[in-house]
Amino acid sequence: MDELYLDNIDEYVNDHDKIVTYKWLSLTLGVHVNTAKQMLYHYLDHKRKESSAQLHATYLVSGKFVDKGQTSHLVSVVREDQLEDCKARMSLIVSVHVYSVQKALLRDSSPLYSVDYDAVRDHLQSCAKYSAIRCTSAVPLSSVELQQARERQPAPTPEPVVKVPSVNGEASHPSKPSTKSQKGIMGMFSNKAAPKHQDSVTEVKLEQKEVVKPEVEPPKSKAAAKVSPALNFFGNQKTKKPNKSDKADESLQSSSRLEQQQHQSSPPEKKPEAAAEESTKGSKKESRSKTKRTVDSDSEEEKMDKKKRRRIKKPEPDSSDEDIIPDSPQPMQTKEPEPEPSPPPPSPPQKEFESVSHSHSVPGGTKIRKRRRVLKPKTFVDDEGCIVTEKVYESESYSEAEDEAPVKQAPTKCSTAKLHAAGNNKEEEKKSQKKTSANTNKGTKQASIMGFFQKK
Amino acid sequence: MATLTRQDINFGQVVADILCEFLEVAIHLILYVREVYPSGIFQKRKKYNVPVQMSCHPELNQYIQDTLHCIKPLIEKNDAEKVVVVIMDKEHHPVERFVFEMSQPPVLSISPDTLLSHVEQLLRAFILKISVCDAVLNNNPPGCSFTVLVHTREAATRNMEKVQVIKDFPWIVADEQEVHMKEPRLIPLKTMTSDIVKMQLYVEERAQKT
Repeated sequence: MDELYLDNIDEYVNDHDKIVTYKWLSLTLGVHVNTAKQMLYHYLDHKRKESSAQLHATYLVSGKFVDKGQTSHLVSVVREDQLEDCKARMSLIVSVHVYSVQKALLRDSSPLYSVDYDAVRDHLQSCAKYSAIRCTSAVPLSSVELQQARERQPAPTPEPVVKVPSVNGEASHPSKPSTKSQKGIMGMFSNKAAPKHQDSVTEVKLEQKEVVKPEVEPPKSKAAAKVSPALNFFGNQKTKKPNKSDKADESLQSSSRLEQQQHQSSPPEKKPEAAAEESTKGSKKESRSKTKRTVDSDSEEEKMDKKKRRRIKKPEPDSSDEDIIPDSPQPMQTKEPEPEPSPPPPSPPQKEFESVSHSHSVPGGTKIRKRRRVLKPKTFVDDEGCIVTEKVYESESYSEAEDEAPVKQAPTKCSTAKLHAAGNNKEEEKKSQKKTSANTNKGTKQASIMGFFQKK
Repeated sequence: MATLTRQDINFGQVVADILCEFLEVAIHLILYVREVYPSGIFQKRKKYNVPVQMSCHPELNQYIQDTLHCIKPLIEKNDAEKVVVVIMDKEHHPVERFVFEMSQPPVLSISPDTLLSHVEQLLRAFILKISVCDAVLNNNPPGCSFTVLVHTREAATRNMEKVQVIKDFPWIVADEQEVHMKEPRLIPLKTMTSDIVKMQLYVEERAQKT
């Protein structure tokens, strides 16, 4: 291999201040991608030995990653300082190669995508010429087939929406880009991954992908599916401004996500993602439970004017919920230090949490809290010295754990009390109801058919 | 813009819109790359088909939008010679100046068929260049703030002072100390020439920043 390429790369990096990705290099010089990667590696090596100008590099690492007992294939683009970290986290490293070389230290991965975007656009017809991914059956559709495909397309789209309703909107807030791109990568190989793949929405999206991203193996990643609610979290919280519900845009987005190639997913970055994802699950449950209103037979007594909504949390079958509870405060804290920025994201979760505590339910818990307004007789001595008994509405809250009825507003107390309480919902609720009714005068129960018999 | 006739489209307005949109994205990106504000307030959005970082802070966004809203009439009339984003240190001495020099051809002639995808590509290149500009710039001292200056041709600003385009958002003549920088170093970043505008971006950097 002649050494001219070293000068070429040098010119691009130092003189033009370009970001040289392997893909861009392969398209510009007309070489196979693997050759381009080797070129970059040699160049980096060469320059480092000379210890001349400061260069930064990003690497693409792909391998098996074990996350809570689930193995997944992780592909990520990391900065050089995070490389060793990333390699250490993987259980099996399949490939590591230089992704790009540039003079500037990149803060985020958007320029990497921009670099490839224009290069691929210019070579659109031949962008796969130098690629390492081959599929003999992948040929462009003829116009007739294209027409048929377009007609068929509306039919499958409702299906994935039904299947995975939580992954609804396209969260174009790729603050969690690595996870989103993992989902995208999986979708790209939808034929193979479909049986394993939980998230079938991306299959439809990525059918419309324009750009093929090489170097991606079909990973099986449950973590990705789990994280998709995280993206939805941001998609729901923010007002719909950057979100495009149009499918075409979504596909472009997901392809752009793919182009970004995961990102520099270092462990600290993954953690807030995981935390955010888990808090999403928590908030998802809030929203779901808010819409469910269970009507209990005992609610006759509790149909008061200002009744707060009762929440019954069904125990979720997914065991990962256990992790959700302790971690959910974390994203709140990470958001708080920001100087009153992004008010939408913190406030809706805060509002949700507040209203949760108001209605006295713990996210992910299986307890019932009720707050009701009860007619209670108040006995007092009035001005004339007569003992007067008046029936007064008091709002009281109670849980199955508490014997004492009137706790006007102590949500924290209630929740801690609830955390201590164990046991099933209905029985405890009835017990506590009976206890509270024992406290109050039986004669003050209203709207109960048995009240007639219980008077005096 | 599907079926508008030549008389309907005000080309000056179209160009001004395009440039103001671009400037908004560029200002946000400069604030992100030069770390004027913590990166937590930024989120990725899409512009010109590439991801860009935009701030979520409502007041900051409003300020930038109001600023550009006032600049737009100047651009329409081709009165704005330069739009400068000045980054200042704690003592309000300029540390860096990102200068967008723009000029429009005297007779704008855009046919309704003109595809502006070429312009989009050029603007994309600008965005990319801003993203990597910290290769050539020294780090800024902490606690910087920013402001936007407009250099206009002739006396176009007199109108601006008389008529407030946005209520309670007055423009004032810039201080001498904000405009001039000690020992500036000039670093050109990007140039573009297109049918609708010619634009140049360069950075003036103070030799000693701290």
